[in-house]
Amino acid sequence: MNIPSLLRRRLYKVNILSRLVSTSKEEKIEIPYRINRGPTDILRALESTITRDTTAAHYKYHDDPYLIPMNNLAKRSYAMAQEAGRKAAHWVRSENPELFNHKECDPPIEAFFPKLVYDENSEVTEMDLLHVIERNHVSDAALINNLLKTKGVEIAPETKQSLLELLCYNNSEEFLNEAFIEERWFRQSSSNREKQRKTWKDGSLAEEIFNSIENPNAETYSAIIQGMAKFNQAARAYHLFEEAQNKGLILNVDSYNAIIKVINFLKEAYDMRWTFVINLLEQMKATGLKPNLETLNSVLYTLSNMGGSKIVKDFAVKTLREFKNLGIEPSLGTWYYLLIIFCKDRGPKSGILNNILNQIEHKQHEIYDISDTYFFVTAMDVARNHLNDISLGERVHKLLLFGNNYNLIGDSYKESIYYRHYFMLLISNLPIEEFMEKTYNHLVPNIYVPEPSVMKEVLQQIDLNGAIEYVPKIWSDMVVFNHTNRQDLVNLILTVMVENQPPTESDLVEKFCNIAWDIYTIIDAINEEKFNMIKFTGEILGKILTLVLRNGDFTKACDVFEKLDDKHNIIVGVPSFDSLSLFVDHCIANKSPSRAIKCIQYASDSGFPDILILGARLNEKLTLDESHLNQLSKFINLKIH
Amino acid sequence: MNLPTSLKIVSNIFRSQTGMRFVHMSPILEKNQAGRYRTTPRKNFPLTYEMANPPHQIAHRKSWNSWNTSNILGGNRPSETAVEDLFIRKFIEGTWHALFLSEIIIKRQHNLIRIAGLVNRGVLPRKMYFLIGYTEELLSFWLQCVVKMEIQTVADKKDVIFKYI
Repeated sequence: MNIPSLLRRRLYKVNILSRLVSTSKEEKIEIPYRINRGPTDILRALESTITRDTTAAHYKYHDDPYLIPMNNLAKRSYAMAQEAGRKAAHWVRSENPELFNHKECDPPIEAFFPKLVYDENSEVTEMDLLHVIERNHVSDAALINNLLKTKGVEIAPETKQSLLELLCYNNSEEFLNEAFIEERWFRQSSSNREKQRKTWKDGSLAEEIFNSIENPNAETYSAIIQGMAKFNQAARAYHLFEEAQNKGLILNVDSYNAIIKVINFLKEAYDMRWTFVINLLEQMKATGLKPNLETLNSVLYTLSNMGGSKIVKDFAVKTLREFKNLGIEPSLGTWYYLLIIFCKDRGPKSGILNNILNQIEHKQHEIYDISDTYFFVTAMDVARNHLNDISLGERVHKLLLFGNNYNLIGDSYKESIYYRHYFMLLISNLPIEEFMEKTYNHLVPNIYVPEPSVMKEVLQQIDLNGAIEYVPKIWSDMVVFNHTNRQDLVNLILTVMVENQPPTESDLVEKFCNIAWDIYTIIDAINEEKFNMIKFTGEILGKILTLVLRNGDFTKACDVFEKLDDKHNIIVGVPSFDSLSLFVDHCIANKSPSRAIKCIQYASDSGFPDILILGARLNEKLTLDESHLNQLSKFINLKIH
Repeated sequence: MNLPTSLKIVSNIFRSQTGMRFVHMSPILEKNQAGRYRTTPRKNFPLTYEMANPPHQIAHRKSWNSWNTSNILGGNRPSETAVEDLFIRKFIEGTWHALFLSEIIIKRQHNLIRIAGLVNRGVLPRKMYFLIGYTEELLSFWLQCVVKMEIQTVADKKDVIFKYI
């Protein structure tokens, strides 16, 4: 068939088709309404076409071979170092504010100007107080408040209220500057550790201000109650809560939510806690308050701390349904609480993750609650440890990569735990080739650097599958990730290489020899006085010996054996008999009887029973002279053979 | 009037009251020296590519060190830009002491200033990140706009040497 005829036929088809499709009716063209666009909409649209480039480091690092971090330590220290530099600049500015008073920018941008400094002699007014409250400068607010008090200036109740709210929000402590994002990202989430501890400062400025207000209204009570509850001063928060109610004040929803969240401190028994929750919700209903998402999450939080009985799960489902009827859309945090209620370590398996994913898949999620950032790490944990279900794990990961959902990963700590679970799940459920090609090579090292425990799992899977072609790659990664000081990992990789012997003609023999020699030089270079460092053991040296000999490198083998022999009394453990036997064979092949005798002597000292065979083999293959025979006969009786 | 007296008068015209001469009779030496390097006797003075090309090669073999639109017709703040660029160069010279191996290139776009250059790997990456953070932040406080550094590192100082003269 030539091309013109093909074209002709196609045209003919199109003709018929168009005749079939066309209708006689006039089609009405509907012009869509104009969509109002914001100034950044185009940028956002462009941004949405870009996904994370896995072949490059994160954009906060400089794109230069010298400056790209290759392991977790470097990632952290580079980002933090840059932030330290920025802090140094802030310090220079705060030390010399008089030098930075020029106003170059137009319109003025406050972030570029030095902070106003207040001290005991400053002339302050209420406006200054409002100014610093607006900018969340807690210590300045406290100072100005004091100054105004000593001067006897009366502050308006609204100002006092906002000052109280500021102090309660952060427990009268200074905020971490919002500009320092790296510190927030790398800060170990200390909130977990302090979760169960009272951190509210009793008798702090917040309480002082609260007491100074003569007739506190509902808002005032709400602020102090929320503050106390947030920092786990539960008993006093509840006391004030009751006090306000006795006065007939109507508190806001947030203070109810705050009290629900600290019920665990107020009541011991689980059923008492639940009746308390119900009571509070009834009260809300009676006062005509409409609960919100925070209420739902607080109730579920309380439930999640009430053990793993069936009744708790029922309550959780009922609560969810009730709030859904109210038209409250759950956030990721809600699902997080459901996961920890349903998927307990010691408890029946629950497939709730599947149902949750059906609800939230293929959607972009926003942050509504601080607990939202716990969802992904917990979901992956459940997929791996609770259900060990790879398809669920993949679905969770897909959801994470959807839209801007990656913003909900939390911080660096949660991110690395998430990927640890994800990797562990994939390693044990995927063929090793698929795992290495699709996941490992894709995500390591720019997105995730495996921890030693993950590396160990990878090596074990390589061992199980005999996929030794990946060993050189894994070893070079281990060197880059600073895993070479891990005794167990080094021992494991040597074992993998010894036990999966490559065919003699493959180039892996030489590569393995090089890896073994790398390990030897790394351990040899380590200063022995260093604490907690990897040390030579008989086992490691024996394996190195075997690998080097398989490549026929006799001189290196001699070095290794001499190390083994010289430090016999320092090195823990002995090599396997096979590696010694292999060494003797190579000594015979290289016509070096004195080394062979040394080796046999070493084997005899180490208490191997089969040294007679070695001696006999040596005697048979090489013609030994008088002195060698004498030496040999010192520790074995050759006459038997 | 005889000749000597007339010469005297003429010479008095050309003499100021302070005794200085105003008219030069010798030919002018039209020599350009700026941005050019003199050869050394041992021919061992290293030049980078930029240094090796004299100023008239700008836009032919090499490029500008400052990129901005201040000096075009109707451009904003021409003198301020020049002074600020000088300040940035001096600041970088001092802060990144003996680390920059190339000229410091300053590129301005809107309210963004980008500072580029080649840097010797003389300090640890960690310290380099500290310097980047410090320079960006302090210069942005000073110039009151966003300042970014775009550096490339060079393993060896000799890598940037184009020729010896």
